[in-house]
Amino acid sequence: MSDRNYIVVAKTEALPAKSSLRVELKGHDILLCHIEAGIFAVTNTCSHAEALLHEGKLKGYKILCPLHGAAFDVRDGAALTRPATKPLCSYPVKVVDGDILIALPEAG
Amino acid sequence: MTATSDTAPGSARAPGPSVADTLRSDSIAPPPPLLEQSYQFLGDTEIPFSRYTDAAFFQSEMEKLWPKSWQWACREEHIPDVGDHYVYDIGKWSVIVVRAEDDVIRAFLNVCTHRGTRILSTEGVGYSQSLTCPFHGWSWDLEGQLKQLPGRWDFPHVSDTSHGLDEVSCERWGGFVFINIDPQAAPLHSYLDCLPDHFKHFPLEQRRVKLHVEKILPCNWKAAQEAFMEAYHNVETHNSPNGANAQYDIFGKYVSRFIHTIGSYSPESLADYAGDRWRRPPLTETEQLQALGVTDAAAAEKAEQHTARAVAAALYREQLSAEMGVDLSGCSDSLMLDSIEYHLFPNMFFFPGISIPMCYRFRPNGMDPDTCIFDLLLLQPIAEGAEHPEPPEPIKLSIDQSYTEAQALSWLAPVYDEDTGNLQMQQQGFKTSIRGGVTLGNYQESRIRRVHLTLDEFLDTPATEA
Repeated sequence: MSDRNYIVVAKTEALPAKSSLRVELKGHDILLCHIEAGIFAVTNTCSHAEALLHEGKLKGYKILCPLHGAAFDVRDGAALTRPATKPLCSYPVKVVDGDILIALPEAG
Repeated sequence: MTATSDTAPGSARAPGPSVADTLRSDSIAPPPPLLEQSYQFLGDTEIPFSRYTDAAFFQSEMEKLWPKSWQWACREEHIPDVGDHYVYDIGKWSVIVVRAEDDVIRAFLNVCTHRGTRILSTEGVGYSQSLTCPFHGWSWDLEGQLKQLPGRWDFPHVSDTSHGLDEVSCERWGGFVFINIDPQAAPLHSYLDCLPDHFKHFPLEQRRVKLHVEKILPCNWKAAQEAFMEAYHNVETHNSPNGANAQYDIFGKYVSRFIHTIGSYSPESLADYAGDRWRRPPLTETEQLQALGVTDAAAAEKAEQHTARAVAAALYREQLSAEMGVDLSGCSDSLMLDSIEYHLFPNMFFFPGISIPMCYRFRPNGMDPDTCIFDLLLLQPIAEGAEHPEPPEPIKLSIDQSYTEAQALSWLAPVYDEDTGNLQMQQQGFKTSIRGGVTLGNYQESRIRRVHLTLDEFLDTPATEA
């Protein structure tokens, strides 16, 4: 297993604790979430009706969709409440020297 | 105060000094409500065991008590922003509390007006700019008006107003959001009796939720709360001398109180309790201070000159002022130390104390008469004008877990294990006793009787009282 290809998407100073930040990487719309357990990245689109999650609310380890209120665990993307049933895509995150890096899934 | 056997029932009191005697001699006097006394004899007949075990009685509570009584659903700081909501479940009922505008909070039944589906599935906090049923996608705005009706062409008989969410009564007091499922309920203030007047002196608005533990207990909700309505059990259950001379007050149909002192006790009040441990000889002031965990020599010397209460209260003032960023320099010894517990019918407790700052709520666990949910919150004072931090999520403990698994409870955890350890055995005993029901002390257990009398009024059952 080779190291994944991590790419810098933001500076840590742009993402204070208990906040989220929308970033774009190679066509992926991604939401960075800074919670007590660290920084996590999930896809920014709700798996239910495709609302944009950065318009929702980060509460603890949950991101809450603005449209129907579905809750997801930002640590692994798991859908926690109806109406969502499918998880969000979750991206590996690293923090190096004040940079936040994300690895995209391997192509193919 | 040494009366032990006055003729009028309920007029006897424990021998020795009373709580009021102790409070009057404190180094910083309590606010006036803590010196009030308000007792009335409410009878001495048995409370039938069936009220704790019978499925039909439980069902009657579910139809006539819970949808008709005021109860807090959440704290205001659970829903600070427009679109924040909180789902509160009580037995079979479920209510959504919504921050509809900056200063408007509304509450709706958590039921779709189409085919009755529960709209939000999980109790607790959430957020969305509209409420949407997960079944067919009917959607309402934060005012409860129907906003989206997929396939509206098929529903000519449905309008935005005819199928708005069913709104229930919602008011606020003390930083809590109260709901009453009855839309025609009398105002909350008519129900709070003396609470607004008393709590002006110790406002609960200026508190934060420091900790919330939610545990399932193996007994009926009333049996659980009744274990917390008297301090008579302190000697046997907690091996503690405090409480045998506690003060009990009945302020009306809905509100009662006890005060039991910390850092002092009455050896005389234990005259007919088993064992001599706290009577011969009584604990010294230094020993009482040690029992509060204060062991340094300078404090011990002061305690013998003043009292353990005065020394402990001074120490707590200093420590807790620094810890919480609140000026407690003028706070009375009693508020600093004592277990002061107000009960609001049917199931809520508020403690104005600073080092004993609890809030309890006892709810049926779904539709099971034999188990209940005990919400235990610590409400810590915050500085005037300070913003309320986001409340922590509840730590959930199952019926078999110990309070010691909620580490944040610290020294309180074993005390709650002792309190709740009796309950399964009591629920079992209710079902196998050949006596008619519970026998209550006229004074020390009067608050329990007050709840049952008010419950009778809700259930329209024959009074438990002759």
